[in-house]
Amino acid sequence: MKTSDQTDGSTPALTDRQAILRILRLWHRQAPRLIIGAMLALIALCLGLVLMQASGLRLASSVLGEVVITTALLRWIGGGRVILRYAERLFAHDAMFRALADLRVWFFHSLAQGAAAGLGFRRAGDMLSRLVSDIGTLDGLYLRILVPFACACLTLPILVIQLGRQSVVLGVLVGVLFACSAFLVPYLIAKSGRAEGERLGKNLAALRIGVLDLVGGLREIRAFGAEGRILSHVQADDAALLAGQMRLARRAAYANASAFLCGQAAIFLVLLAAAGALSLHISALAAVGILFLTVAAFESAGALTRAGLQAGVMGAAARRVVEVAVSTPNATQIAAQTDAPEDTHIHLEGVKFRWAPDRPLVFDGLTLDIPAGARVAILGPSGVGKSSLAALLLKAAVPEAGSITLGGEEISHIKADSLRRRMAWLSQATHLFDDSIRANLLLGRPDATEDDLWKALEDAAVADVVKTLPDGLDTWLGEGGIKLSGGQGRRIALARTLLTQAPILILDEPATGLDAQTEQDFLRTLNTVTEGRTVILIAHRLTGVETLDRIWRLSGGVATAAAA
Amino acid sequence: MSGDKAAIRGWTRTQSRLGRQAARPVVVFGLLSSLLGVGQAWCVATVLGHALVGLVSGGGAPTLVLWPILAFAGLALLRALIMALSDTAAAKAGIDARRRLRGEVLASILTGGPALLRKTHSGELATIAVDRVEALDGFFGRWVPASVLWIAAPLLILLPVGFIQPRAALVLGLCGASVPFGQALFGIGAAVASRKQFLAMTRLQARFLDRVKGIATIVLAGRADDETERLGQAAEELRLRTMKILRVAFLSSASIDCAMVIALVLVAIMDGKQAMALLSGGTASPALAYTLTSGLFVLLVIPEFFAPLRGLALAYQDRAHAQGAATAILDLPEALPRPSPDGARTVNASGVMVSLEDVCFTWDPARGPALDHVSFTVPAGETLILAGPSGSGKSTIMELLLGFIQPDSGSVRFNGAPLDSIVPDSLSRMISWIGQKPVLFAGTLKDNILFARPDADEADLMAAVKAAAVDQFLPSLPDGLETRIGEGGFGLSGGQAQRIAIARAYLKNAPILLLDEPTAHLDPATEKSVFESLQRLALRRTVVLATHSAAVHMFNGRRVDLQMGRVVARQGAA
Repeated sequence: MKTSDQTDGSTPALTDRQAILRILRLWHRQAPRLIIGAMLALIALCLGLVLMQASGLRLASSVLGEVVITTALLRWIGGGRVILRYAERLFAHDAMFRALADLRVWFFHSLAQGAAAGLGFRRAGDMLSRLVSDIGTLDGLYLRILVPFACACLTLPILVIQLGRQSVVLGVLVGVLFACSAFLVPYLIAKSGRAEGERLGKNLAALRIGVLDLVGGLREIRAFGAEGRILSHVQADDAALLAGQMRLARRAAYANASAFLCGQAAIFLVLLAAAGALSLHISALAAVGILFLTVAAFESAGALTRAGLQAGVMGAAARRVVEVAVSTPNATQIAAQTDAPEDTHIHLEGVKFRWAPDRPLVFDGLTLDIPAGARVAILGPSGVGKSSLAALLLKAAVPEAGSITLGGEEISHIKADSLRRRMAWLSQATHLFDDSIRANLLLGRPDATEDDLWKALEDAAVADVVKTLPDGLDTWLGEGGIKLSGGQGRRIALARTLLTQAPILILDEPATGLDAQTEQDFLRTLNTVTEGRTVILIAHRLTGVETLDRIWRLSGGVATAAAA
Repeated sequence: MSGDKAAIRGWTRTQSRLGRQAARPVVVFGLLSSLLGVGQAWCVATVLGHALVGLVSGGGAPTLVLWPILAFAGLALLRALIMALSDTAAAKAGIDARRRLRGEVLASILTGGPALLRKTHSGELATIAVDRVEALDGFFGRWVPASVLWIAAPLLILLPVGFIQPRAALVLGLCGASVPFGQALFGIGAAVASRKQFLAMTRLQARFLDRVKGIATIVLAGRADDETERLGQAAEELRLRTMKILRVAFLSSASIDCAMVIALVLVAIMDGKQAMALLSGGTASPALAYTLTSGLFVLLVIPEFFAPLRGLALAYQDRAHAQGAATAILDLPEALPRPSPDGARTVNASGVMVSLEDVCFTWDPARGPALDHVSFTVPAGETLILAGPSGSGKSTIMELLLGFIQPDSGSVRFNGAPLDSIVPDSLSRMISWIGQKPVLFAGTLKDNILFARPDADEADLMAAVKAAAVDQFLPSLPDGLETRIGEGGFGLSGGQAQRIAIARAYLKNAPILLLDEPTAHLDPATEKSVFESLQRLALRRTVVLATHSAAVHMFNGRRVDLQMGRVVARQGAA
């Protein structure tokens, strides 16, 4: 997956169909399995059709005193049908899980290549968890849509040929009815359900926001005695969502009924033919076989109506996943080939930057000089662009103008991986993984020894806490590190940052959320353990305990030196 | 753990009972639909039987029998209607149940109040109220009716079959009866398999979500390639474990297939033999016609007979969703109407004296008391500053004063009246509160300020806007007071959000003002200007200000220093 076809900054809007095709293309590695799975489904389906037909024929043919279908044959078909159906389901599910695994890895990989770095500087957690559920939704693409569709495509000619051998008119009529039931009705419901589906998505989002407000604002609500008001507000959102779902359900019910009626009409025609009406005369024996075949065929088409209902949801999910994964970062990447130099002198000259073309400039001619091994603080009120500076240094964002150099080398020429290995970043947004403490630390340096880990914990002044935990380093941290207090969690993150051997540490508001005492302890720790490394401390204020070589104040898009 | 399981089972049982009442139309329509299917099968069998007998009796063109064909069409139309009604009724049952459950969950959350947020993450609570409840649709719409229909419908079908061909009814009955055994056998097997795999599966699934959430950290640490590879391994493991469960689980639906195939084959062979025997007697006898028709009828009815059993197998996972939701919902406190104490009273609202008398409070016995015999008094219209490091008990005092929690011993008094004797509505009318980060609701700026008093008129609103200095940043917003803020809207800075909280407090105009570290997240310059606004707001009100800011000297009043839940110093006459 190379993004060479996406070099221009603006991603063209994808249609659902393109997105689904894109995902199907991703699955090419699993194509043989997916195809075999579908084939097995087809054979199982055929055997099902044959079984019904054979049972009917067996009974009917006895009238003529001859055994067209032997008992053994019937048993074989029946047994084969059960075994194949089992094998098909197992194989198809296995193929689907493989394909989904590929999809997840691809999604993660392309996210990591593209927009991911920038996500750390924007609030994107909710969007991401929604995407994860979108990927889950794509489960159904193969099993619920593609396989039934392939089956219907095969059933149609079988049906038409079998019937056409007896009566061409009957074959064509039943074929048309089958096409209506298997293709037209699902298509129509997919098309008409789309707008409603989109509205449902919006309603669900509105409900989610309302509930989040209610939960997050519990204190405000209680303090202002607003329980009744807020509850009725959320219930109105809920009612809108449920009413939309009801409309969709009603439409689905009609679609199901129409698909059912198509099948019934086909049986009606076969019956007329069997009775010799309408000059569609066919032999009575053939009529029995055909009738059973028709019943079984239309039953298998029923699954496609449900597929039609899900097609809209599936398309939207596919579109969101593909859009995020293939979107390029907000500026073009110049082919960067150089490794980061040894020297860690950082220099910014006349940097202009904004997050998006329609947003105001964050930096307008920013100039900064940070010698190797210096300890500097960059201060400014919230919203002045302090985090943008970290994003620029880490190449998570690219300036419009000006130059940023590391050891005299333009960072745009340095490989992002190599650059990021020279700079360790710690911020409020640094994520603690739902994993053991050990695994969290090893993210900083995978080859660290047990002693290195304890040293880092010691330096971050959290070793004592970890020692008291029953499982020590193997303690499971829980989602977002919730098993520890906020301060302890920050210290684990600090230990991870210290564990990296990066010569430059970028600490972006590292003490947010800590109380004054803990914050001072934390910053004192930093003074002692970061010796010999460049430390860039980004904060809205200083507590007075930091030892610093230089202090810059950001305002109006430029930095001015303040007293150290 | 066993108590939990019993509670979950109890919850599922209660919900099933409630669901069954709502699903009654679905069940009735389902049974009707089965009956109509039986009728249709009879019509089809009659037509075919007639044609076949005509074939035997002499090769002449069979006489046209029209009535069963027309009856078939009529029944088909009726059945389509019934099916549509049944689908709609099922959707309605699911929707009604979700409306009820969501209402209950929200009421529980509101009852639990802010104390709930100490135990559970707000995102988790929102997930329960939205997604967990949403996932229950299938439980009420599909599982509950299917759990009745899978016994009732086959039994109902068995009646006419038994009447027409007792032998076939016996075969069908036996095959049908074997299904629950197969289901139970493989169902238990699948349950055992999934119990073994469940924890590992959950962890693997959570791992993907967690890694995606933390992707920026991974990329900026230069570990993207390693993690991609590990994620691939985890996905592979997830597949292997899931397949282990499915291998057993699919056997249960294979057992239905098997039973159906056996029934089909047996009936076809049995009736075929009988027809041959009758035929050897010579020409077409009425007995032959009857055997043919009834044989065809039974063959056609067999899929009808097994359809409800399949429906149950398909809906089985909907039940698993319900159990997942039960665990989450049972953790919520029971929704209670807020207790209105005996002799509930109001307190004269102009000028309120606030006092704590020997108050103790413990959040978690393992961590010791949060407040240890704390007493102080704030006379009406004066200011008390609560100082002390984080964790010293400042926030606990605030929550006590707000009535979110009750003291373990001692009492909180307003004008001498114990807090628990005051009507909750009257209490909330007396107090304005500003926390560290005000919550801005999705809506316009104006809605957010009017939240304090929805019936305030334009003049009051504008006065509050001016007094809180909200008007200073209005010009920078795209639509002024009508700018949409909160989730999905325009982002406000911490200082701006705090000014909206101040405007709310102005609008509410309550005699007591509680300020819980209102400037904790602000830079010094913003802090100073917010404190200035708060100073104006504090005039003539009884104020309790918790803070560890250095700028607190801007307020003069009494001061209480807390440490580890005890009062360690007092200044002024506190």
